[in-house]
Amino acid sequence: MELHLNRVDYIQVGVTSQKTMRLLPALGKKATQKVAIGDHDGILTCFGMKKGEAVPVFKTLPGQKISRMDLGGAVGTPQEKIFVCSGSQVRGFTKKGKQFLTFEANLTETINAMHVSGADLFVCASYIYNHYCDCKDQDYYLSGDKINDITCLSSENLTHLVPVLACQDRVLRVLQGSELSYEIEVPGPPSVLELYNKDGGEEILYGTTDGKIGLVQIGEGSAATKWEIDNDKKKGGILCIDTYDIIGDGVNDILVGRDDGTVEVYGFDGASEPTLRFDHILSESVTSIQGGCVGKESYEEVLTATYTGWVTGLTTEPQKAEAGPGDEVRMSKEIQSKVEALRAELEQLQVKVLQGREQYQQTSQSSTAVSAVPVFSINDKFTLCQDDASYSLTLEVQTAIDNLLLQSDVPIDLLDVDKNSAVVSFSECDSEQPNGNFLLATYRCQANTTRLELKVRSIEGQYGTLQAYVTPRLQPKTCQVRQYQIKPLSLHQRTHSIDQDRPMNRLSLVGQFSFAEIHSWVVFCLPEVPEKTPAGESITFYFHNTFLGTQLEANYCKGEGHFRSDNISTISILSDVLSKEATKKKINLNISYDNNDDSVSHTLKMIHPKLECQLLLAKKVQLIDALKELQVHEGNADFLIPEYRNILDESANLLEEYKKQPAHLERLYGMITDLFIDKFKFKGQNVKTKVSSLLEILDNYDLNSLLDFFNEA
Amino acid sequence: MLVPIFTLKLNHKINPRMVTIGKFDGVHPCLTAATQAGKVFIHNPHARGQRPVAHRLSQSTQDSDISLLNINQAVTCLTAGNLGPNTTGDTLLVGSQTNLLAYDVHDNADVFYREVTDGANAIVLGKLGDIASPLAIIGGNCALQGFDYEGTDHFWTVTGDNVRSLVLCDFTGDGKNELLVGSEDFDIRVFKEDELVSEMTENETVTSLCHMHGSRFGYALANGTVGVYDRTARYWRIKSKNHAMSIHAFDLNADGVVELITGWSNGKIDARSDRTGEVIFKDNLSSSVAGVVEGDYRLDGQKQLICTSIEGEVRGYLPASKDLKGNLMDSSAEQDLIRELSQRRQNLLLELRNYEENAKGVSDTNSGMGVIPANTQLQTALSVRPATEAQKAHVELSISTPNETIIRAVLIFAEGIFEGESHVLHPSAHNLSGCVRVPIVPPKDIPVDLHIKAFVGGKTSTQFHVFEITRQLPRFSMYDINFDSSAAPPTGTVTFSISDRPQRVVMWLNQNFLLPEGVESPDVTFNSLRGGGLLSISMASNGQVDEFHSVHQKLTAAMADHSNYIRNMLVQAEDARLMGDMTTMKKRYRELYDLNRDLINEYKIRSNNHNALLACLKSVNQAIQRAGRLRVGKPKNQVISACRDAIKSNNVNSLFRIMRAGTASS
Repeated sequence: MELHLNRVDYIQVGVTSQKTMRLLPALGKKATQKVAIGDHDGILTCFGMKKGEAVPVFKTLPGQKISRMDLGGAVGTPQEKIFVCSGSQVRGFTKKGKQFLTFEANLTETINAMHVSGADLFVCASYIYNHYCDCKDQDYYLSGDKINDITCLSSENLTHLVPVLACQDRVLRVLQGSELSYEIEVPGPPSVLELYNKDGGEEILYGTTDGKIGLVQIGEGSAATKWEIDNDKKKGGILCIDTYDIIGDGVNDILVGRDDGTVEVYGFDGASEPTLRFDHILSESVTSIQGGCVGKESYEEVLTATYTGWVTGLTTEPQKAEAGPGDEVRMSKEIQSKVEALRAELEQLQVKVLQGREQYQQTSQSSTAVSAVPVFSINDKFTLCQDDASYSLTLEVQTAIDNLLLQSDVPIDLLDVDKNSAVVSFSECDSEQPNGNFLLATYRCQANTTRLELKVRSIEGQYGTLQAYVTPRLQPKTCQVRQYQIKPLSLHQRTHSIDQDRPMNRLSLVGQFSFAEIHSWVVFCLPEVPEKTPAGESITFYFHNTFLGTQLEANYCKGEGHFRSDNISTISILSDVLSKEATKKKINLNISYDNNDDSVSHTLKMIHPKLECQLLLAKKVQLIDALKELQVHEGNADFLIPEYRNILDESANLLEEYKKQPAHLERLYGMITDLFIDKFKFKGQNVKTKVSSLLEILDNYDLNSLLDFFNEA
Repeated sequence: MLVPIFTLKLNHKINPRMVTIGKFDGVHPCLTAATQAGKVFIHNPHARGQRPVAHRLSQSTQDSDISLLNINQAVTCLTAGNLGPNTTGDTLLVGSQTNLLAYDVHDNADVFYREVTDGANAIVLGKLGDIASPLAIIGGNCALQGFDYEGTDHFWTVTGDNVRSLVLCDFTGDGKNELLVGSEDFDIRVFKEDELVSEMTENETVTSLCHMHGSRFGYALANGTVGVYDRTARYWRIKSKNHAMSIHAFDLNADGVVELITGWSNGKIDARSDRTGEVIFKDNLSSSVAGVVEGDYRLDGQKQLICTSIEGEVRGYLPASKDLKGNLMDSSAEQDLIRELSQRRQNLLLELRNYEENAKGVSDTNSGMGVIPANTQLQTALSVRPATEAQKAHVELSISTPNETIIRAVLIFAEGIFEGESHVLHPSAHNLSGCVRVPIVPPKDIPVDLHIKAFVGGKTSTQFHVFEITRQLPRFSMYDINFDSSAAPPTGTVTFSISDRPQRVVMWLNQNFLLPEGVESPDVTFNSLRGGGLLSISMASNGQVDEFHSVHQKLTAAMADHSNYIRNMLVQAEDARLMGDMTTMKKRYRELYDLNRDLINEYKIRSNNHNALLACLKSVNQAIQRAGRLRVGKPKNQVISACRDAIKSNNVNSLFRIMRAGTASS
């Protein structure tokens, strides 16, 4: 069954946050629904569509930015009361726009997730969860890592409401009152939660920042994962999910909005596994998504809101025959009037802007006046991609980006992303100079680029800051700088557990430091560690190296820290950085090592299959051109040995794979060299002179000779 | 929406920019392209199974529609067209680094085979100026050569650098074709036969040229720029991060005016309006585009646009039918219009908000916003800095703020003077100040617009004001004025008379040189910061200007070495051949192996020699061109043709004399 949806743009409001647009329930059957949307200017807009034109029902005054929206109402009645949160305040509006509730949650931080269910209100700030019933404090929970979203289960099988928190450390936390009931491990940092069945039930859909979706069934004391959809095509992270039967087969389909602008519809083909039925690319992050009926009666649609505030429908209504440009006559009347209205508004605005410009010019004559342009909002994300062990940086601005300057004080590689149309230009930089720049690159964007995606490859052990200066095409011209830390163990990722059977090296620190101090050092060294000092006396974190697959265990408390890893280079980097940090604070550290010699050969054996595979691939790719030439020369490939014929047959795949992993081999070589140097560093030997012979061995690679070399030297 | 009317997979790789269509039997158009291993394939789907196999031509066993042509040399360019007066069909012309082959596919015979020492990087076939017969004009290392059907060269001239692209078009509008030459020194030159009529300077190697209509032509550069010129005026240009592989003029929307079709390195094809550069159609091939051509490939009387990719994918497009009304893309115009208007409204609203917030004044003293005094204005200054021990000679651009604000970073966008298109200066956090100095070393004497963007704010700001300033770098910025009159005047001179007053010359001097304070008299001496030579200009009162230039006249002695190289190579090759004369089998195999190795070594030596030779030839050609440029008009052409004769007769001494005196006989 093919699904065809046509795009219709409705209105544009200000910049929107995740999950800030909802459809109000329909009054009658088949009637169109009203849309409520809140933006960063603090304006809550409610509108309906009449004859293709957006007619506002109400609009509130500007205020603090709206970070979430939910619908609620007394149990058993239509859920048509609108709740928005901005700052630490929750406000409630009726569908007519009358404010009936102002509730100050008395949190020191701003609310970033909210759920409303009957008289129960659940709000979450960064680490804090609060439950209010009839605006009275009920429960409280402090989470170990940032809370990204919250939802609440209510079902006949469960005796009470069960709140579920999506936390940054890759777990869903199921609460009972103020206590943690249990945790569910998910494959990535969850960013959004949604009930699979809106009327109740125990199934929850989650989406992760690395683009995975899954369904879990929440039980009383444990949970079961129903299915998971991987992110093979490397699309963006999930920002919003909804369930709605858009295909019309009686089964709820899953609607997904991603931060790279992809909108997807997953349907169920008899089997319980979802399959992709439709996708569409909007050019900016999709912050909210919901199925319903907005544009025209009895035509169902997927309504989306994007970062820059566009409310766009993907409707089942077929589009009329289109007219070309300059063919104004055939343009429908509705559209014509819409265009005229817009034009008139533009003209008025133009006049106002001109006045504004003049005034601004005049102030530049005065010697006392100051010029301060309000801060524009940037939606940015800097995440480690597991598959190719590189960081991806996405930047999104509400207006078109003019140019972007990237500056880094550590050696990093900037990779090209095919999607980008911006023209990159690298500027030469002398790292010797006092300016200490290792990378200076400018991106000159094409018109209408509001979103940029970049890939950056870091080297473990080299740490510093990457800065991005973003200049939008907006007068008066300003630019904003964003900083991203490249951590010493930048290629590590949090994981739930590690393999304890591997030979491990240990690094122990003893000294006069507080729990908070050692925690701040760990935060400095490793990504994905919450900035807040964990509750309790001691803490253990597990990590794995996304490139090599080696692991790290960090266990520390006040005055003591233990780090265990099967990769000796990891230990070496940690000890260097930790001692440097401690010295900065003038804290005396007692560092001891317990190195396991087997660990080095273990790591080498772990690298072996990767290295062998890469070498083979490189060899094959090298042969492709020559073989093709032979094929052309001889007319066919029958005379070749099967191995070569095989290479020819698979040449396209081989080339693609080779292209996917640029400089993979060089990176592996670099890490083996580091391993070699680090192994002997702990023995007090400097083996830098032997590196050239190591490279020689690598060039004629054989695992045993490499192991021998490591043992002999 | 326009869709391809046919797609083919040819199973042969196609070398980029080496695709053409020829009617070799006078009727059926055949797609012809260079492929790997020094071969050319001809795709002829029209006359299946009736071709003989002989000489160069062999049937491909993979595909019966394809015949392969063995060139046995790496092909560098090819074209097809009507060359001879009494041939049935088109002649195929294939150029390599050393030879040019004209081949009659229909009769399966060589028309001519000529050695071309300057190589053939680009080829074009057609009529040039008043020359009666059509010429195959090849562009090589700084040289242009035109052959007629007999293989005699009717046309020879030199140009500034290696030729990368050629096209014939009626540039002057006199009804006769001029030759447009795009070369590696970023210039597009127009030759009316062997006279240089005009010159346009671009900012990268000119990789492709194509004739649009009238005096309008399209061009593509190595940095991803494509655009359209009308005579010497550029209509529009766009730049992409991808590279334009092939450009072609074709009327895709059937409005009677050709569009510029560009095939890109990422497989994209787009058609742009010749007036505005607006995209009216785009499509994607799965791999890089190799060439874009046109021909009646279905033999139904309509021309198709044919796009080929390097993996051998071929797509043909018919011009749009009338009912598409020029709307070739799958998008709704109404929605786009509304979206665009709303976007503009949003931008205006945001700008307005900026002014309103600004007028309100700063409510908090949060310095993150980057508050600066409203009267902040940036001062920029350009000055020439001779070489010191720490730094090479450069032009210094200094930018400073008048108050306590700091400059966080400076971006300079300019064409042709930096490695990329921009240069960035980003001082580290503890080196921030209100003044930055940017050293600039322009590699060529061209005037450049510097688009400066300076980020100004406070030391701890996270948001900065962007000041945008444009400064022009004068043409001769790398010349430092020299007040020391003791230096010996340069030996080479150029004398010419102009009918302008000295004041005008002084004005020209002030505009084109970076002078700390203007000069009053036209008698000045400059140090060239690039070569270190002197340039002195003096003007007699009767309006005569003498210009001495010692940087010229650097002819390499290597010219005389050419023959030695060649002789060496021959002797070595002869040795190698003799060594192969062994008797016993086993020994012979070993010897053969050695010989093979020797041959490879020798090949390396040879190729090195060849490269050296090419470099020498290039410098000779450039020297001739420079010698020519020191004269104007008829004497210039005389110098060039005299030099050509001298080279032909290998008379080095007369070459020197010609360059010095302007004529062969003194």
